[in-house]
Amino acid sequence: MLGLCIAVLTVVVLGAVCFAVPPAEGLGELVRIAFLHIPAAWVSVIAFFMSAWWAASYLRKGEIRDDARSFSSARLGFIFTLLAAVSGAVFSKLTWGAYWNWDPRQTTILVLLLIYGAYLTLRSAMEEHARRARVSAVYSLFSFLTVPFLVFIVPRLYFSLHPTPVLNGSGSVDMEPVMLLTLFAAVADATLIYVWLLLKSSRKEEKI
Amino acid sequence: MKTIAFEEAEKSFSGRKILRNLSAVCLSGQITAAVGPNGSGKSTLLKLAGHFMLPDSGSVTVREEDAVLKGEALRMSIAYMSPELRLYPRLTARENLSFFLGLRGVPIDDRLYGDVLNRVGMLPETIERTRVGEFSTGMRQRLLFGLMLASNADIWLLDEPGANLDDEGRAMMLREMRRGAEENKLILLATNDSRERGAADEAIDLSEH
Amino acid sequence: MRPSTFQSIKLVLRKEITTGLRFRAAWAAMLMFSFTSLVCISFALAGTAAEPKLLAALLWVLLFFSSLAGSDRVFSDEEADGTLMALRVYAPSQAVLFGKLLYEFFVLTVITVFLLPLFIVLLGAETKEMLLLLCTVGAGLWGISAAGTLLSALIVGAGVRSGLFSVLMLPVILPVFIPAIRLTEAAFGGTVVSLNFLGGILLYDMILSVGASILFDYIWYAE
Repeated sequence: MLGLCIAVLTVVVLGAVCFAVPPAEGLGELVRIAFLHIPAAWVSVIAFFMSAWWAASYLRKGEIRDDARSFSSARLGFIFTLLAAVSGAVFSKLTWGAYWNWDPRQTTILVLLLIYGAYLTLRSAMEEHARRARVSAVYSLFSFLTVPFLVFIVPRLYFSLHPTPVLNGSGSVDMEPVMLLTLFAAVADATLIYVWLLLKSSRKEEKI
Repeated sequence: MKTIAFEEAEKSFSGRKILRNLSAVCLSGQITAAVGPNGSGKSTLLKLAGHFMLPDSGSVTVREEDAVLKGEALRMSIAYMSPELRLYPRLTARENLSFFLGLRGVPIDDRLYGDVLNRVGMLPETIERTRVGEFSTGMRQRLLFGLMLASNADIWLLDEPGANLDDEGRAMMLREMRRGAEENKLILLATNDSRERGAADEAIDLSEH
Repeated sequence: MRPSTFQSIKLVLRKEITTGLRFRAAWAAMLMFSFTSLVCISFALAGTAAEPKLLAALLWVLLFFSSLAGSDRVFSDEEADGTLMALRVYAPSQAVLFGKLLYEFFVLTVITVFLLPLFIVLLGAETKEMLLLLCTVGAGLWGISAAGTLLSALIVGAGVRSGLFSVLMLPVILPVFIPAIRLTEAAFGGTVVSLNFLGGILLYDMILSVGASILFDYIWYAE
């Protein structure tokens, strides 16, 4: 059922991105990359938060299901972060002239990538199951301590070329309604894909 | 009066069930022996008793009278020795004792030090400057036992205590365990040795589990 | 009589220092490792006058890798000697964590005291703000010790050891690393930066220490 909804939504979003969205001023056809990039970045962050959430829940209650979810979320987060980083780098090359600029958001996504990578490496290195669950939950939460740094310090350290987020400080939205609608649909679609894959893979993990 | 109660405790390692549906009670003032062939879960039973690991299902509870002992209070009342447990090889016997006993709030002085070593049949003068890393296995075993005697713990968990000991050492150990039981310690021991088994008041037979 | 946490921390610290000082080979390896890395950088630059920014970055990369050579031993030595179980039976978690953290800080300070003058001499770094440099290094080392002690406990029992520790360490320590490089650059006479960065490192040090303290119980105890 969920799978079917996602399939329909994905087709609609793809259609909208290819045909309905007008080329943006200054960015031209490149704007279409944003519909992959923004949802992917969104899911990377959500997956990181959810992974830490389930890690905390595992440490509190010790239920193996929470560990499986935390792990699945981190694994999906890693893939989405890769997508976001690569699409962002391509976009960056085409608009700013370089793949990598040490932009605050690029730095943040790089740190996320490092954390996910470290988490997955740690997991693969631990052999005993109970200890693996505990140790990876602790690392997930410990690496979560970097969040205040990423949110408050990184933007001050690096100069940014990144377009302001969809909802910027003044609360105004400067985007055409068609684009905005498509973007929201794309973000919703990506989130649903994340949830769907998460449920599937965490059920499989639990049985192992 | 302390008790350790196992209620339908189960434990498996990587899919292999080591303990199945174990129910038993150990009482203070008694020596309880866990017996069974290799791999029957004797060591696991001791680790569960000390809360060094948790059962997959069922429960293991340590009580003092009716109150359940947990956390720091439980840890302070437990002493444990096993072939897995080693003392610091770069410290001398006295430094090791002073560190571990200090953590239990037992200050060590010359009298106590001499006393402990005498009880386990070691001569304080001959090992004054020797690091534990240079001890023979039997001597290390004796020192570990001495640490347990001096630690003020009411619950003794001993995994193969007689391993690597000579006859005189084994006799010393049985004597001290009996004395501990008379002082109302709860003594749980895992053993394959028939004499240690014979000295026990109760037995938990793991062979059919 | 149960000893206070403070007394227990003191016992663990004293034990660490006694065993640590007797393990000469470990010290020789750590100091020679940091020295070799320094000489390697020095050769690579071969007399080129480096800018403050580059010097600051090099100093922290050097400190990071030298500290790794010391930090990952915090628990692996105990694991190798088979003494972890004894420590677990007798010592309360917080005493183990903070005793080892303090010892780790001591080790890293020794390495830095050895390394920093050599760095300044060999690479021709001019220190304009000595106090700022020392404060930055001190704050940075505390963060590394706090994160290193917890992570070292995490990898006990891991099948793969080499490399894993640095992989785990880097993302966690970046919030210390990046502002520390900015501050060091300023201390070497580069662009002036706000002292808030130092406050930021200290705040993050606190977060790491508290976080490590809360999380360590879950690794140390089975309950």
